[in-house]
Amino acid sequence: MCARCLEVSRRSLMLGGGAVAAALHTGVANARIRPQDMVPLIGPGYRPTERDELGLWKEMERVEEEVAGSNLLITDPKLTEYLQNLIGTVGGPAAKDFRIYLARIPEFNAMMFPTGFAVVFSGLLLRMRDEAQLAGVIAHEAGHFLRRHMIRSWRDEKRKTDLFSIGAMLAGVGGAGAGVYLGDYVQLAQLGTILSLFSYSREMEAEADAMGIRSLAQAGYEPMAMSTIWQQLIGEEEASARYRGKHRRKGSLFDTHPSEGTRMADLKADALELTVPGKVYDRHRERYLSTIGPIRPMLLDDQVKLNDPGASQYLIETLAQDGWDGLLRFYEGEVWRLRNRPGDEPRAAQSYAAAVAYPDAPADAWRWHGIALMKQGRSGEAKAAFARYLKMKPDAPDAAWVRQMAG
Amino acid sequence: MRSVAVLVVALGLSACSSLGGEGFGYSDYSLVRAKRVSVGDGSLVVTAPQPWNRHRPIWFGDIRQVEDWTQNGATLDGISFVTGLKDGKSLVRQRRTASQQVPIFRSNMTAPEVAAMIESLYRVRGGSVDFKTLSLQPRPFLNTSGFQLDYEHLDDDELWRRGRAVGAVIDGKLYMILLDAAKAHYFDATLPDFESMVASAQVRRG
Repeated sequence: MCARCLEVSRRSLMLGGGAVAAALHTGVANARIRPQDMVPLIGPGYRPTERDELGLWKEMERVEEEVAGSNLLITDPKLTEYLQNLIGTVGGPAAKDFRIYLARIPEFNAMMFPTGFAVVFSGLLLRMRDEAQLAGVIAHEAGHFLRRHMIRSWRDEKRKTDLFSIGAMLAGVGGAGAGVYLGDYVQLAQLGTILSLFSYSREMEAEADAMGIRSLAQAGYEPMAMSTIWQQLIGEEEASARYRGKHRRKGSLFDTHPSEGTRMADLKADALELTVPGKVYDRHRERYLSTIGPIRPMLLDDQVKLNDPGASQYLIETLAQDGWDGLLRFYEGEVWRLRNRPGDEPRAAQSYAAAVAYPDAPADAWRWHGIALMKQGRSGEAKAAFARYLKMKPDAPDAAWVRQMAG
Repeated sequence: MRSVAVLVVALGLSACSSLGGEGFGYSDYSLVRAKRVSVGDGSLVVTAPQPWNRHRPIWFGDIRQVEDWTQNGATLDGISFVTGLKDGKSLVRQRRTASQQVPIFRSNMTAPEVAAMIESLYRVRGGSVDFKTLSLQPRPFLNTSGFQLDYEHLDDDELWRRGRAVGAVIDGKLYMILLDAAKAHYFDATLPDFESMVASAQVRRG
């Protein structure tokens, strides 16, 4: 039906192989790694000296070139500067060496590459409720670099010779398929293989958590922010699965991470250890919201139009814990409209009606409100809503259609 | 049927996924000659101004009311015919348990709702990260009042593609012809054929 449905679905088919490769790493849960035991293994301006790592860096420089030139990047200078400052705050000794890129991909994800550049997915910005949470994820990613996880896991793999041959093969498949998106940054199969070999062990994930929360606390953010990220991720995945009548999906990127429940518990314990009684912590919610504010409608749009009603509704309700507004009510309506089960049409209509009562209702809320009214046979009110829409958005791409309706 | 599908995947045959993507089987292309041809489930007839390639699934897994053609390969261009999609059906076959779903068609849908359905199709199944509606306007189609949607989308292969869909809901069923092609060169190159087929389209009654 769409030209590339074919190709994309073939890649998601291969995702199965990636999950197997990842499964090889999952062992039994380890004891909690304490933040105070986590010291950075590298200093400022780190450069590799050994041959294998030099080779790896060379490859990664090509990957970074690809990433930096990608048209999937959001290059808004205010946003990129904000992210760069954040990693500069929680990046420990390497703070000044990191590069950070923001990719327009509506998924909960971020990743650190072996040479110290990170890619943050736009879906992450939608899900974080304040700066402390975002800083937590970034500190975790920086932790991987500070603890030299990439080269350590690479060498680890090579030692396990038998496993390597099978693992490399599966990982090759996984690499090509795993990132339904990542694969596009890295078009060479060889690089895909290299990347998929960087699936971190549970222990490394636990280390990055401990390292990250330590940096987070040192930077003055509320340490408890980090465990709430996992709480939200678990909640979202469960909500999504429940809608489709299945168990929480396995084989997601976070599968190789220690099970989210364990991580959440460990991070809570870490946070209690690190919290200094009487000290005032700030989560910088206002600063966060004012920075991402201009792209928030786009972030919501990208998520909701994926028609994953369980996840989207959970996300909207999570964000609404800080207060409902016209934008959130509008997208709540969009979730029901796209789901389109019996009874969803009136449900969506109610949300649109609620949305337009807020002063910040987006123009699109007025259009959908108008369409809902028209379908209910309330043509007078519908025309007024359409008129309001056209007034707010005179150059709307569908103005010709709306004008005919408002006729 | 499902166990057969699993078997095919397990054996690692070079199975092409069908356009629906959720069923698996063999598929190939066959020549469409420059003449009057019926498409989809046979209820729509168009005149191809020059030869095209019809993507023909041999096995199962496709929607009978949807047929896809291409000139230079699916990555570069494609024309799809939707020939009377019924209420409650979607443009592609999908698993009920897939977390992201292409919205289903409802016979009372207005043009913006059909447009939103198309947008989600690209986002859910086409890997689009950005989708811009360029215009949505009334346009007569199949001797009734229909719509024309123009759009462009950035896909995860970092290519901008452009599309035009012309459609109408007749007796509660969706009829639509859709062109989707790389924005650079291929859209403009295939647009005249598309327009000529839209103009020649007729519903075959009975």
